[in-house]
Amino acid sequence: MERQQRFMSEKDEYQFQHQGAVELLVFNFLLILTILTIWLFKNHRFRFLHETGGAMVYGLIMGLILRYATAPTDIESGTVYDCGKLSFSPSTLLVNITDQVYEYKYKREISQHNINSHQGNAILEKMTFDPEIFFNVLLPPIIFHAGYSLKKRHFFQNLGSILTYAFLGTAISCIVIGLITYGFVKAMIYAGQLKNGDFHFTDCLFFGSLMSATDPVTVLAIFHELHVDPDLYTLLFGESVLNDAVAIVLTYSISIYSPKENPNAFDAAAFFQSVGNFLGIFAGSFAMGSAYAVITALLTKFTKLCEFPMLETGLFFLLSWSAFLSAEAAGLTGIVAVLFCGVTQAHYTYNNLSSDSKMRTKQLFEFMNFLAENVIFCYMGLALFTFQNHIFNALFILGAFLAIFVARACNIYPLSFLLNLGRKQKIPWNFQHMMMFSGLRGAIAFALAIRNTESQPKQMMFTTTLLLVFFTVWVFGGGTTPMLTWLQIRVGVDLDENLKEEPSSHQGANNLDKGTTKADSAQLFRMWYGFDHKYLKPILTHSGPPLTTTLPEWCGPISRLLTSPQAYGEQLKEDDAECIVNQDELAMNYQEQAPSPCSPPARLGLDQKASPQAPSKENIYEGDLGLGGYELKLEQTPGQSQLN
Amino acid sequence: MDEEIVSEKQAEESHRQDSANLLIFILLLTLTILTIWLFKHRRARFLHETGLAMIYGLLVGLVLRYGIHVPSDVNNVTLSCEVQSSPTTLLVTFDPEVFFNILLPPIIFYAGYSLKRRHFFRNLGSILAYAFLGTAISCFVIGSIMYGCVTLMKVTGQLAGDFYFTDCLLFGAIVSATDPVTVLAIFHELQVDVELYALLFGESVLNDAVAIVLSSSIVAYQPAGDNSHTFDVTAMFKSIGIFLGIFSGSFAMGAATGVVTALVTKFTKLREFQLLETGLFFLMSWSTFLLAEAWGFTGVVAVLFCGITQAHYTYNNLSTESQHRTKQLFELLNFLAENFIFSYMGLTLFTFQNHVFNPTFVVGAFIAIFLGRAANIYPLSLLLNLGRRSKIGSNFQHMMMFAGLRGAMAFALAIRDTATYARQMMFSTTLLIVFFTVWVFGGGTTAMLSCLHIRVGVDSDQEHLGVPENERRTTKAESAWLFRIWYNFDHNYLKPLLTHSGPPLTTTLPACCGPIARCLTSPQAYENQEQLKDDDSDLILNDGDISLTYGDSTVNTESATSSAPRRFMGNSSEDALDRELAFGDHELVIRGTRLVLPMDDSEPPLNLLDNTRHGPA
Repeated sequence: MERQQRFMSEKDEYQFQHQGAVELLVFNFLLILTILTIWLFKNHRFRFLHETGGAMVYGLIMGLILRYATAPTDIESGTVYDCGKLSFSPSTLLVNITDQVYEYKYKREISQHNINSHQGNAILEKMTFDPEIFFNVLLPPIIFHAGYSLKKRHFFQNLGSILTYAFLGTAISCIVIGLITYGFVKAMIYAGQLKNGDFHFTDCLFFGSLMSATDPVTVLAIFHELHVDPDLYTLLFGESVLNDAVAIVLTYSISIYSPKENPNAFDAAAFFQSVGNFLGIFAGSFAMGSAYAVITALLTKFTKLCEFPMLETGLFFLLSWSAFLSAEAAGLTGIVAVLFCGVTQAHYTYNNLSSDSKMRTKQLFEFMNFLAENVIFCYMGLALFTFQNHIFNALFILGAFLAIFVARACNIYPLSFLLNLGRKQKIPWNFQHMMMFSGLRGAIAFALAIRNTESQPKQMMFTTTLLLVFFTVWVFGGGTTPMLTWLQIRVGVDLDENLKEEPSSHQGANNLDKGTTKADSAQLFRMWYGFDHKYLKPILTHSGPPLTTTLPEWCGPISRLLTSPQAYGEQLKEDDAECIVNQDELAMNYQEQAPSPCSPPARLGLDQKASPQAPSKENIYEGDLGLGGYELKLEQTPGQSQLN
Repeated sequence: MDEEIVSEKQAEESHRQDSANLLIFILLLTLTILTIWLFKHRRARFLHETGLAMIYGLLVGLVLRYGIHVPSDVNNVTLSCEVQSSPTTLLVTFDPEVFFNILLPPIIFYAGYSLKRRHFFRNLGSILAYAFLGTAISCFVIGSIMYGCVTLMKVTGQLAGDFYFTDCLLFGAIVSATDPVTVLAIFHELQVDVELYALLFGESVLNDAVAIVLSSSIVAYQPAGDNSHTFDVTAMFKSIGIFLGIFSGSFAMGAATGVVTALVTKFTKLREFQLLETGLFFLMSWSTFLLAEAWGFTGVVAVLFCGITQAHYTYNNLSTESQHRTKQLFELLNFLAENFIFSYMGLTLFTFQNHVFNPTFVVGAFIAIFLGRAANIYPLSLLLNLGRRSKIGSNFQHMMMFAGLRGAMAFALAIRDTATYARQMMFSTTLLIVFFTVWVFGGGTTAMLSCLHIRVGVDSDQEHLGVPENERRTTKAESAWLFRIWYNFDHNYLKPLLTHSGPPLTTTLPACCGPIARCLTSPQAYENQEQLKDDDSDLILNDGDISLTYGDSTVNTESATSSAPRRFMGNSSEDALDRELAFGDHELVIRGTRLVLPMDDSEPPLNLLDNTRHGPA
């Protein structure tokens, strides 16, 4: 008898596990379908639907089927049992059911109003997985890949602008969205759709901050494919990457803003605490991420691990993952840490890896990024139907739509105006419009919204976020190509070409002029660059001038210890340190050739269509920031020696 | 409000704890990698990375167990609300299902994906005999010995719980799963005789599959009637039926998804987008696992056969880029998962809460596994040698006996269910067995090799060249007689259907199927026929190296006489060239005129360089 029962419960467990398999299987099939469809689209060069959009469509269809074709199976889980003697919620619980003791784990708290008839539908229940999975499993590879594939040359050139957009812009957008939605919330309360006191101003701000995370994958993929102007690409990409980091930290600090007495009132102390929190977490995560990358760089530099590419790749992967885990364990934000880890890894460690490992790491993270991204978008489609507690409120949704456009405008136009005052190379109107247009919302906004769906305002936010993501990805994502032609933004631009053009545009000027232009635009960055070039690069990689020459005399022994033998030999060719290649092409590096005089005439033809030889090497070359005459001389001297 | 904050805090705390736990493992793996690099760099072979991972795991387990005191904040409360406070240490334990759902599949898939098919198929009969018969024998021998041991313990009163014969059999099934990664890694490095390598590798891979299914059917053994531990014929046959059903079901499932992948990659031009291709490959292989699990079969077994099918068919449809990517991806996953499991093993010796160490049982188990292994290898080898042309030498037999290491699979099977007293004792004992075999046997492999006078530095091609072509052909055909029909079928129908290679279906199928055949044959197949190059479908390479493909060049016949110049080339292409089983004159004609594949033109120089660096040992 007892054994029978045990057998039964084992069977139950079996059932349970099978359901887990089924759930994953559904996602797998959706992804496979997406891949095949995307191939079809790519094959026919349809650009109106990106793979993420496709994933969402399939997710929606699957969600529809699951919602209406499956019946609730388990009635038991809808009922609530009382345990009067428990006064708190322990993390593990031993439950005695008819003389069998079972162990149960704390999952989450459910508010009274969320317990509804759908609760019992086991399949729907299983299909909504723990939101923490997004933060712990799916987002890190996406963000790391973004950091790892930043086009560093243009990124650093535009660093000032990108930082402004990311920090100031996100703050502006957060506050603007918060204010507008607060207005709408007040209107809803007036119209009687909402009880007074449910929806605080902090909730509005929370919504603002999570909506500020833009994620223009769709647009960027099209840009990449059409070879849109690299400056625009970098501005958008850099902004969206940093933006995510800022939005995550911002959301966190808003959610812990808890004034002492009245939760609605402004409290200076709590406010400053939140600001302090924001700064602390951001700086901490930044430090953690870069620290791990620096460790990786040192390890790969001083061991000869490059003889075993697999070990090297493993080490790289594990240490990057540790950055995430350590940050989480220390109470910081893992995703932000991973982002900066990625950037630093690309900047230093990448150069120490063997060429085999370079390929491997790139492909690995590209692959993981691809999978994770499509899983998230698939899940979004699915969640529209399988999530149990949607609250659609027309007024709120309308307000949110209005708010994100206004906020995006408040972010881009004024900041661009300010930035243009300081920039040599202005951000033209059509770029600004394009940036305004590509304010897509994506994975991060969704993940932030789904993280907490306990209270009614949060559920309303989640529903609205979902709709916003759908709308922006499909409409804006699909409209990118027409928008590009309408705004007359150059496509088919070649990175190399772009550099060569500059001398020709200032006809009389020679290379030195180019150097100064660049140096000006990267003014903010000059000191850092000097420091990086003279000290960090030589310490962390095999390139750069040997430390013995750059460090003061008294650190002689240390510097001799830290300088790798290669550095002496290759004192002259230090620009191989900057080769990192973007997205999906094979990694190859090309030497920049001396500007060829014949290229200017060819320029006219380039405006509309890509030049025949351009596509192959355009996203390939990543040069140094040219600065000073010294640098410039170097750029022309290196031979083909470092083609790898 | 307050309560909400409290529970939120708690969730956050547990999340932090989880991150910290995972971090421990990641750092362990990092350490392992660095140490392994050092070992490899110095060419120290006595300790394999898995052994090292275990040592580090042990150290960390020790620290966690005795060095850290965690305030007991985990509360065990029953719903009848009696608070029982139990001492809690820092629990760095995972749900055992994690092993079956996350860690084992990549390992097993990779094993299937990297089987050296030529030698594997040639020795298929022997491998199957060792894997099926051998595992069954070993399971029963171990089971019986353990039962004797258990009765002894009962007499002396050492047993504190129930221990039935089925439990003993279960233990037998669990420890029958051999996992000689350590030995195989050394073999690979030293280029030990390929035949031996293929036998061991093939046996250990299939062995795992058999052991899993065997243990699950033993668990499912439920005699009717009240006394649930007597012998019952119907229940036994039911168990056997379950075994066969699950095994063939998983096999079919794995093969089916492999075939689907092959078809999809064949008929779409997915190869233009490598990322999509790799993604598809990965997802389809994973789906196999999930499908099998969802249908009640064994996912790990399905994944194994899926891997073999993928390697046999799909691999040839992939673009070269994707071939690299998939290989490297699974290699990395395999490496990480394997080391993770081994370091977890080390850790769990100290952090697992319910260890039951019983000296009698442990000693009995040690004796049992040696006897079980011996009863597996020696009689079967004797039988097999009756039928085999190339005998399995007695030193090979000793080596196979010696290489009966236990590893990840035994551990995962043992940790799956640790609810009862008997299972806990099994688990502790399995853990000890794994430690012992990995460290002692793994470390002693090099010594053992030289002691048994087994040839190292053997080149697989060279081996054939010693034998004149004609004789070689007949030898092969004989040793693989079991396999001949299958090979024929594979070559004539499956290969053309699933890949771009082989003769076009229009020529092999009967005339009545004309339209279908035309529809299914890829345009390349016709070209292939013109060029008579049908061997590009057989290239799968073994671990570690970059894959390079070589055609079977015409040089072959001339060079048969002069092996010295051939040796240089042969060395490089040794594990690259998966030659077909030669049979029939038709084959030979094709063979004579075979061309080197155009796509490989660029690679030989690199490979030769590589080769000269290693030097013909």
